[in-house]
Amino acid sequence: MIRSIGIVGAGVAGWMAALALRRALPGARISVIETEGPDWSLGPFGPGEASLPGLESWLADHGVEEGALLRAARGGFSLGTAFSGWAGQEADWFLPFGTIGAPIGTVAFHQLAARLRAAGHPLRLADFSLAAIAAASGRFARPSPDPRSVLSSYGYGLHFARAGLAEVLRLASGLATAGRFRRALGDAGITAIEIEDGAQVSADLWLDCSGPAALLAGRLDSGWESWSEWLPCDRAVESWNEVEGVPPPYAHAGAFEGGWQRTVPLVGGQSGALLYASAFLAEQPGAVPIAQGRRTRAWTGNVVALGAAAALVEPLHGHNLALLQNALTRLISLLPTAPDGPEPAEYNRLTASEADRVRDFAILHYKTNGRAGDPLWDQARAMPVPETLAHKLDLYASRGRLPVYDEELFDPEEWIAVLDGQGVRPRRHDALADAIPEPQLRAHASRIREVIVDAVRGMPHHGATLREEGLLA
Amino acid sequence: MLVGRILVVGGGTAGWMAAAALTHKFAGTKLAITLIESAEIGTVGVGEATIPHIRHFNATLGIDEADFLAATKGTYKLGIEFVDWGRKGDSYIHPFAQFGDPVDGVPFHHQWLATEGAGAFEDYSLPIQAARRGRFRRPEGDPYNYAYQFDAGLYARYLRTYAEARGVVRREGKVVDVALDGESGFVRSVTLESGETIEADLFVDCSGFRGLLIEQALHTGYEEWTHWLPCDRAIAIPCANSGPLAPLTRAAAKQAGWCWRIPLQHRTGNGHVYSSGFLGDDEALEVLLEQLPAEPLADPNKLRFVTGKRRKQWVGNTVAIGLSSGFLEPLESTSIHLIQVAIGKLLDLFPTGDWDPLDAAEFNRAMALEYERVRDFLILHYHATERDDSEFWRHCRNMILPDSLAYKLQLFRERGVVVQYREGTFLEPSWLAVYLGQHVTPRHPDPRAGGQGVAAALAAMRAEIAAAAEAMPRHETALGMGA
Repeated sequence: MIRSIGIVGAGVAGWMAALALRRALPGARISVIETEGPDWSLGPFGPGEASLPGLESWLADHGVEEGALLRAARGGFSLGTAFSGWAGQEADWFLPFGTIGAPIGTVAFHQLAARLRAAGHPLRLADFSLAAIAAASGRFARPSPDPRSVLSSYGYGLHFARAGLAEVLRLASGLATAGRFRRALGDAGITAIEIEDGAQVSADLWLDCSGPAALLAGRLDSGWESWSEWLPCDRAVESWNEVEGVPPPYAHAGAFEGGWQRTVPLVGGQSGALLYASAFLAEQPGAVPIAQGRRTRAWTGNVVALGAAAALVEPLHGHNLALLQNALTRLISLLPTAPDGPEPAEYNRLTASEADRVRDFAILHYKTNGRAGDPLWDQARAMPVPETLAHKLDLYASRGRLPVYDEELFDPEEWIAVLDGQGVRPRRHDALADAIPEPQLRAHASRIREVIVDAVRGMPHHGATLREEGLLA
Repeated sequence: MLVGRILVVGGGTAGWMAAAALTHKFAGTKLAITLIESAEIGTVGVGEATIPHIRHFNATLGIDEADFLAATKGTYKLGIEFVDWGRKGDSYIHPFAQFGDPVDGVPFHHQWLATEGAGAFEDYSLPIQAARRGRFRRPEGDPYNYAYQFDAGLYARYLRTYAEARGVVRREGKVVDVALDGESGFVRSVTLESGETIEADLFVDCSGFRGLLIEQALHTGYEEWTHWLPCDRAIAIPCANSGPLAPLTRAAAKQAGWCWRIPLQHRTGNGHVYSSGFLGDDEALEVLLEQLPAEPLADPNKLRFVTGKRRKQWVGNTVAIGLSSGFLEPLESTSIHLIQVAIGKLLDLFPTGDWDPLDAAEFNRAMALEYERVRDFLILHYHATERDDSEFWRHCRNMILPDSLAYKLQLFRERGVVVQYREGTFLEPSWLAVYLGQHVTPRHPDPRAGGQGVAAALAAMRAEIAAAAEAMPRHETALGMGA
C-alpha cells in the first residue's frame, strides 16, 4: 500500500503527476522535489507546449479551469498542425483534429476519395475537414455537443507556455515543493532523496519527472531502447520569438534540408524548437543533444519514469502530454498493492507498446517524405522501418486499409491524413466503393464541402474567441 | 480478373448469411452470386444462441426484428446462465452489459470487492436481474445489450428468401469434383453430381466441417486446440417447452462437459458437449436425457468435432466461412458470430481482381486473432474451477494454459485488473462475469477502493436496478406471445 509518493522534477510532468495522484490518493503524502535547469520534463522542445484533444476533459476532471490555464500560460486553441516541406520541398498539408469527410454506409471516406481520384476528380482530404478549413481561415469556436451538427465533427487542442501550465497544475494540486534535489540514495532502489539543506525525503514510490536526465530511473537497471536508426534528429534548439497579433489556431512543423522547425503560437510570441540531425547540419548555437527512444522498463523497482524520462520522441504532434496523461491514468489503475506484485510488468507492457506506436507514427513522417535530393531525407525514405510500421504501410499501399494495434494513441483517421498528405496513394480502393454510382459519390463530396464551408463562415475568428474569453487584449 | 461471379458452396446458416450479406452490399452491381446446396446433406446448426452483434448484422440487411423473430421462432436473450462451473451448486450469468458504475473514479468491481455487505455481484446488473425474473424490455439508449435465440434452420430459410429475392441464384446439387488452375492453384470450378460444371471468380466455402474446398481440394491444414478444449462430441435433442420462457441460454457443467438449453418460442433446444476421452457416448446420452426439462421431440443428433481452426481461412480465391473455417464449442454462443466476423472482413477486404496476397494475409491474421481470443475466453471457463469430482475437471484445472491466458488470469487473480485489448469479441465486463462467477477473487483490489460513501452509493445502485427489473414486462409479453 502506497502511503507516500516522491516526485523528482517540478515541471509540467511533475506537477501533472502531483495533481493526478493527489486526486487519486487523497491520504498519501506527496513530496515534489525541484531539479536544476529548464523544464525539460517533456523534452527540450521549446517553452511552449501543444496538446491533443482529450486534455481538456482531463483538466476539467482535475479542477483546472481551461480559461484560467490559458490566461496564465499565454494560451490559445489549436485545430491541428500544418506540415510544410515534408511531402516535398514545396508541398504542404494539414493534420486536423477531427473527422475528414463522411462515409457512405460502411465505406470509409478515403476509399470514396480514392474512387473519385481514379475517376479523374482530384481532391485534397483536408478540404473535407471542418477543423482544417476553420484553421486555414483563422477561425475557432468550441465544438458543438450536438452530434447531428457538423460543428461536432472536430476536437481541439491547446497551446500554452509550459511554465504557466506547470504553475496552474501546481496551484490545483495545492502542494508546494519540498526542496531542491541534491542526490538520490540507495543502490538497488531509491531509499531517499537528499535535498539541498541536507535533509532526506523518503517515499514508498518515486516518480521520475526529471526529463531526459532521468535522475532516478537512470540509476537503475531500467534499460533504454534507442530509436536513432529511424528518427535521425539528435539535436534540439529551443527559442522564443516575440510576436504581435492573434496567434493562429494551429501549430506548424516545417521541414528543411537538415531537420525541421516546430512553432507553437502563443499570445505575444512563438515557441520554437529546431530539431536537426547533426550529421547533416553544422552545430547550431544553443543546441542540446537529444536521444530519441524509450526506457525498456519505465517502472523499475520503486521508480516510475514519466514524460521524457520514460520516452523521448520528437514533438511532431502534441503526443508528449498525451503520453504523460495516459501514463498517469495507467499508473493510478495499477497502483502497487503488495511487494513483487504484477503491476509493474503490466504497466511496462502497456506503456512500451503505446510508446512504440507513437514511435511508428513519428517514423512515418520520415519514411514517406518526398524531399528528393536532400541526403537526410533520401536516406530516411530508403531506411527499413519497424515491422509493425512496415505492415501498416504495406496494407495501406495495397488498398488503403490501416490495421490498428492495441494501445494506439493516434486514430486510423490521423494515420490516413498523414499518409494522404505525404502523397502515399493506395494501388487500389475497396470494391464496395465501386458499388456506389459515381454521380452519387460526387454529390456526396460536394455536399460535405458545402456544409463545412457554410459552417466555417458562421464561426468567429480565433482572435474574437480569445478576446471574448479575456485571453487577448 | 475482376470478381464478377461468386459461388457459395453450402447452404445452412453460414452459406445463407454470406449470400444475403454479399447480395445486399453489392446491390445494383453486376456481381452474380450463386449458392449450391444439397437437401441430402444436413446442416449442423448447433449455434442457435447468439451474441448481440447479430442485431447489427440484421439491421444492416434492413431486417425487421418482429418479422425475424416470428419467422425464426426466436426469443430474446439477456445472457448465458452458467450452472455448476466454478463449484457444484453455482449459478452465475454472463450478461451483455457492464456491472455497476465506477464510484470516485474507481472501477465498480474494485469498489464492490472492497465493500462489506455489498450483496452479490449480479445485483448490479440490470439485465441479470431482469433475466432472473423472466423479464425483458428492449433497452432505450444502451444501458445493456441483448441478443436472440432462434432456430438456425429457420434463420437460414429466412435469409434464403431474402437473398433469392435480391438476385442470389440457388442451385440444388452435390459437389463431386473441384477443378484447380494448374498455374495459380486457384479454384476454377466445381462439378455437380449431375455432371454440370459451375465456374466462379471467388469461392466461399460454407460446406461445414469437411471443408470441401479449403481442405479437401486445397489441403490447407488444421490447427488443433483439443489439448486446451478437450470436448470433441455433442448430442443435440429438442424438447417441448415447460414453464416460463427464460430470456437466457443455459450452460450446465456435467462430469465431462456441459449441457446447453436454449428456449425458443415453440420448443427448447438441448445438447450435451462432452469429451469422448472421459465419457462414453451412451453415458453422455443418459446425462443429456436425465436433465431434459420435458419430453424429447426428436431423435438425438450426434456430432463429432475437432476444436481448432483451419491454418488459413482465405487461400487463393477461396474463403472459408463457418464450420469449414474452424470450430469452437458454442459455450459462449460464438458460432454465428464468427461467421458474421468473417463475412464482415471479407466485405472489407473484398478482392479487387488483382488478388493481392495481402488481402488474404490480413484476413487470416484478423480471423486468427478473433479465434484465439474467443478460445482463451472459453478455456477460462474450464480452467477456473474448484471442481474435483471427475477426471475431466482435474484435467482442466491442471492443464497448461496458453501464455496469453495465463497472463490475464494471473493479473486478475493478483490485482483484479482485466487485460484490455482493442479488438476481440469479449471485453472487460465479460471477463469480469466469468472470473467473479467462478471464484477467481483478486488478492489485492485497487487500493483506492472502499472510501466513505461507497457503501451507500452501491446500495442505491442495487435498489435502482432491482426496481427497474421489477418494472419490466414478462419475456413472453415482450415477444407478443400472450401468456
